[in-house]
Amino acid sequence: METVFISKLKPFLDAVAGQMELYVPKRADRYYVYTKYDSFKTEAEFNNIRACTPAKQFLLPMCELAAAFPGPFEPKDVKPFAVFGLKDCDLHSLEILDKVFLDEEFRDPFYAKRRENMFIISSDCSEPAESCFCNIFDGRPFAQNGFDLNVSKTRDGFIIEAGSDKGTAFLKEHCDIFADVPQALLNERDRNRQTAKNQLEQNNADLRFDAPIKEIMENSYDSDVFDTQAKGCIECQACTRICPTCHCFYLYDTKRSDYFAKMKMWDSCMRQAYAAVAGGANPNKVLGDRLKHRLMHKFVYFIDRYGVNMCVGCGRCVDAEAGKVDLRSVLKKLSEEFKGKARKAKVAK
Amino acid sequence: MNRNPYQPVNGRIVDIIDESPTIKTFVVVPEEQIRFQTGQFVELTLPGEGEAPFTPSSSPADSEKMEITIMKAGRVTALLHRCQKGQQVGIRGPYGNGYPVDTFVGKEVYIVGGGVGLAPIRSLFLTLVDRIKDFKRVVCRYGAKTPADFIYKNALFGSWQNINGVNIKLTVDNADGEWNGNVGVVTTILTPEDVDIKNAAAVVCGPPVMMMFATHRLLEFGFDPQDIYLSMEKNISCGIGKCGHCMLGKYYVCKDGPVFTYDQIKDYPNIWA
Repeated sequence: METVFISKLKPFLDAVAGQMELYVPKRADRYYVYTKYDSFKTEAEFNNIRACTPAKQFLLPMCELAAAFPGPFEPKDVKPFAVFGLKDCDLHSLEILDKVFLDEEFRDPFYAKRRENMFIISSDCSEPAESCFCNIFDGRPFAQNGFDLNVSKTRDGFIIEAGSDKGTAFLKEHCDIFADVPQALLNERDRNRQTAKNQLEQNNADLRFDAPIKEIMENSYDSDVFDTQAKGCIECQACTRICPTCHCFYLYDTKRSDYFAKMKMWDSCMRQAYAAVAGGANPNKVLGDRLKHRLMHKFVYFIDRYGVNMCVGCGRCVDAEAGKVDLRSVLKKLSEEFKGKARKAKVAK
Repeated sequence: MNRNPYQPVNGRIVDIIDESPTIKTFVVVPEEQIRFQTGQFVELTLPGEGEAPFTPSSSPADSEKMEITIMKAGRVTALLHRCQKGQQVGIRGPYGNGYPVDTFVGKEVYIVGGGVGLAPIRSLFLTLVDRIKDFKRVVCRYGAKTPADFIYKNALFGSWQNINGVNIKLTVDNADGEWNGNVGVVTTILTPEDVDIKNAAAVVCGPPVMMMFATHRLLEFGFDPQDIYLSMEKNISCGIGKCGHCMLGKYYVCKDGPVFTYDQIKDYPNIWA
């Protein structure tokens, strides 16, 4: 695959925006949020860490029309669009969402249309946040695959690498704005990546599990940790809304001026009535049970079903949490408890 | 499957039958034929109001129309109960796995039902009766709150009682003056002598508490957890294994169920709630 160099970000972003709608990260207070790129108005910024908002915003809108009555209603065509600044954790989250929404038996046509037309320009994380823990789940501070183009920042400018045929075609088409990459910059990129990796490992040095996370969780169905940790939860649901892999939704029917609509809206398994049925039964009436279900889904059920866990370690839930639940502490506590149980079992033998 | 899975097929309610003070059967004719297997469910939309999952209570052999028996339990079902003949509805599905009728061949089928749980069972019952010679026997134990709460009364007290190879016993939680049958919850009419446990499949459908007690009773009789089939009621919404509301452990009740063996789900938390 092609790798090229460009000294400034702007001509590159302009070239992308010349072909399709482009969304870029824009600093807002301590975080980055996405905005539509306008060559005249938007500053070309390189986000050192993941944006605050997850990549799912481009594929699963918070609320959308899913069906109409009388039908039929089919999704509208989606024009190609590009997103710049997605990180390795974001790309992993897309792989996870693909498993659910591009499932062969029931493909979600709304998701599929957007996904097919999404041009992904990822970038390296030069400054992992304190809350980032992707390294625990095989993530890295730079993209490994799943991108069309990837951008790495160096002292002199930006290295752009193609990761797909679409990306290679783009670089070839715009070869006039790019230069060859000096070997020294490639070396610098490797050094930067290693530094960020070391930083992550240092940040999460005490977040080490003694067994695979699934095994720990499967031994935790009876644990009190969920109830005690849930005491710090104020039910703001921010953790699930901001999670790049949480994808629960709610279907509801409503009346429009000239038709009836079936809407599809984000939902949260932390909401009390989430699993309640009309007859009144609710398997997760208790907050601790909802926290348990959420984590079991991420670390047991999703693995059982799709072979991978449903957490990418982006730490967004840690940042967004308005209460006092920190996913890392919950996992750490469960791991410690598991270790204790394993030790007792050994002694008993 | 290329169609929008959230888009219902248009349909119409052509008849409404009062079954009990809180239960009605709606006869629905979809504009496109919907073929289902017994035990599978559909999502019924009342346009602009809401959608809810129901297992048709009619035989899958009737491909022109489908009967859906609905208890007034929540917002959507209360609105459905107010509907008149001719009401337009939407239907999505069928979804889920249905009852594995072919695996019952040569066995006794032990059906335990409660309340509106008889709706999916009626569809199963009609399917079994269609090929009754394939099964050793169909034994049915069914309970309602009061005699007035029995549904499909004509069949239950009439034609079904006279089918060769079928044995039906009924009970009520609370009797009135006319009732001279058993009084007590459905587990009080289950006995180990009802069926040849080693060569039987049990099918349980009803309110969660009734299902829990019935399952425990069947286990006491010596039923293998793999031979107890449960119709699980969860908050089914999308029907296609995505929205997450109906999750039961790793399973999506809408896609992997709604029929599970007890063996499949027994180790997950809060299965009866």
